[in-house]
Amino acid sequence: MKLYYFSEMPHHEYPDAEGDKYPSLRLAFPNRFFDRKKAAENYQRYLTEYELADQVGYDGLMINEHHSTPSCVDVGVNMTAAVLARTTRRAKILLLGNILPIEDNPVRMAEQIAMADLISGGRVLSGFVRGVGVEQWWANANPVHNRERFEECHDLILKCWTEPGPFRWEGKHYHFRHVNPWCLPLQQPHPPIWIPGTASPETAVWAGRRGYTYVPFLVPFDIARELFEYYRQGAAEVGRKVTPDNLGFLICAVTADTKAKALEAGKHFVWRMGPTLRGPVEWFQPVGMRSKAGKQFALKARPRSLANMSYDELVAEHFIIAGEPAEVADKFAHVHEQLGCGHLLLEAQESRMDHLTTMRSIELMGAKVIPAIAKL
Amino acid sequence: MDIREETISVGGVAVHAWTGGQGAPLLVLHGAGGNRGFTRAFRALAEHYTVWAPTHPGFGASGDAEWMQSIADLARFYLWFIDVAGLRRPHLLGQSLGGWTAAEMAAMGPGSIDKLVLSAAAGLKPEKSEILDVFFHTPAELRTLNVHDPKTIPEWDELFGKVPTPADLEIAERNREMSARLAWKPYMHNPVLERFLPRVTNPALIVWGREDRIIPVECGERYRKLLPGSTLTVLEKCGHLVPIEQPDAFARLVREFLK
Repeated sequence: MKLYYFSEMPHHEYPDAEGDKYPSLRLAFPNRFFDRKKAAENYQRYLTEYELADQVGYDGLMINEHHSTPSCVDVGVNMTAAVLARTTRRAKILLLGNILPIEDNPVRMAEQIAMADLISGGRVLSGFVRGVGVEQWWANANPVHNRERFEECHDLILKCWTEPGPFRWEGKHYHFRHVNPWCLPLQQPHPPIWIPGTASPETAVWAGRRGYTYVPFLVPFDIARELFEYYRQGAAEVGRKVTPDNLGFLICAVTADTKAKALEAGKHFVWRMGPTLRGPVEWFQPVGMRSKAGKQFALKARPRSLANMSYDELVAEHFIIAGEPAEVADKFAHVHEQLGCGHLLLEAQESRMDHLTTMRSIELMGAKVIPAIAKL
Repeated sequence: MDIREETISVGGVAVHAWTGGQGAPLLVLHGAGGNRGFTRAFRALAEHYTVWAPTHPGFGASGDAEWMQSIADLARFYLWFIDVAGLRRPHLLGQSLGGWTAAEMAAMGPGSIDKLVLSAAAGLKPEKSEILDVFFHTPAELRTLNVHDPKTIPEWDELFGKVPTPADLEIAERNREMSARLAWKPYMHNPVLERFLPRVTNPALIVWGREDRIIPVECGERYRKLLPGSTLTVLEKCGHLVPIEQPDAFARLVREFLK
């Protein structure tokens, strides 16, 4: 099972009491609380952590993108990919991902991902996401079109990568009369495509049909297995065989020299389970964004909101794994046994987890955990 | 009063409509909240006019129209509806989103309608303030923001006092979704509508609530300036849902105007 290092690049640099005054940390929390000096330091720090993860043997470096929120100030996944393409040497760079429905120019996106792939020597794993509702507001993109635009944007990017230009694209949402990108990915026919999932059966089926790597985020094991079943249905429709390499899973994880230190560090993940997701449903899931099937599945997928679970419960149910390296390796093996996935994505830094703690966790993962799970 | 429910097929879309009353046809276009049918104001008007209250495509009991992209599309659709239903130059009345639709219809074909009534109509960008982003608010917040004072509204309990059934909630969601489809961007207005409104010389009545917190009353003033044959009446202590908040005053005004 391959391990991926991931940080949301949080900007938790303000008094929490200030954030609590607003209906949500997203969209509404005024950016006068954005600390430019801290942010400048943090970007350096976060990139250094990614670089260490590359050096110690992580299989991949996962990066993501959000907007108008202190929970994640990586505001350009392709920009971060370009930086890591130069400063890291070995690990895959997993963009998870580009938010397709809010993109107005898929041709430019295809070029940017291709450029990152070229600079990195073909290390890009290109994730495509539908985004959370907040991004629809940020981009003022009509949520009613979210799925249609996701699919059309995907189709156009793939065409840019795989069919010779010039060609013309007159779709429903995208219209380009002269498509001929002079930047194509190093990997052929194109970088592997990854798709995350939290609750949408349609997405799992769609990814299965195409053989993309599918990664549920922070859901209970039984829900992940159910989503994998939808994935297998999609794969079966086109006669595709599903291997562990098609399946991933995302959890939060940290290790330290002692169990007590790890458990203390793990508490930083609680921030991303509740406070950063607080807000009106209309902001996170604007009208028309989710299908009826998706909504029903979402209710089932989260019978209890993560926000209402205690730290101990989050640890007990493997949403957060925190312990000494040996215990962490055992728990990763348990996840593997439960889900049969070939990729485990670790949200490995959060909130105010400090640089030294983060670096030590990365080191120990490399020295003790990665070798221990190499055979899985 | 005999109020009939009908389904009229227009361009392959099954349009649900309530109709009743007697006299010249009056086509009533509902707002983003959906078709509330023959509320008190329209029952009063139906004593003098044949009121037609269709449900917009994609809303309530009407068929889907996922192909529609804008209020201009909905306006062209309703000009077609007038033909199919045989209404022949009806008076046209629209509330909020329906008011915007009515204004677009008038600008597209002023000869297709008789007199025009715009009630708290969307469609124009205010210059001094903003149209409230209704999709950003919860339904509960909107219920409050929509009106000035629930206590003064005769039909409040009947229309808003009941606990919604799952079917009601599904329709509310459907209405919101179609509203978003039609009016998301540019939000609740058409930047070029103002260029076409001077074409509309039909007599027009513009009615607004002074306390409208959804679409500011300055939009009513702009409509008044842009429509050559129009007058503006602003009702005091009234919010956005004019025909529901002050049904008797509203019906009286409309009746006087259409006479």
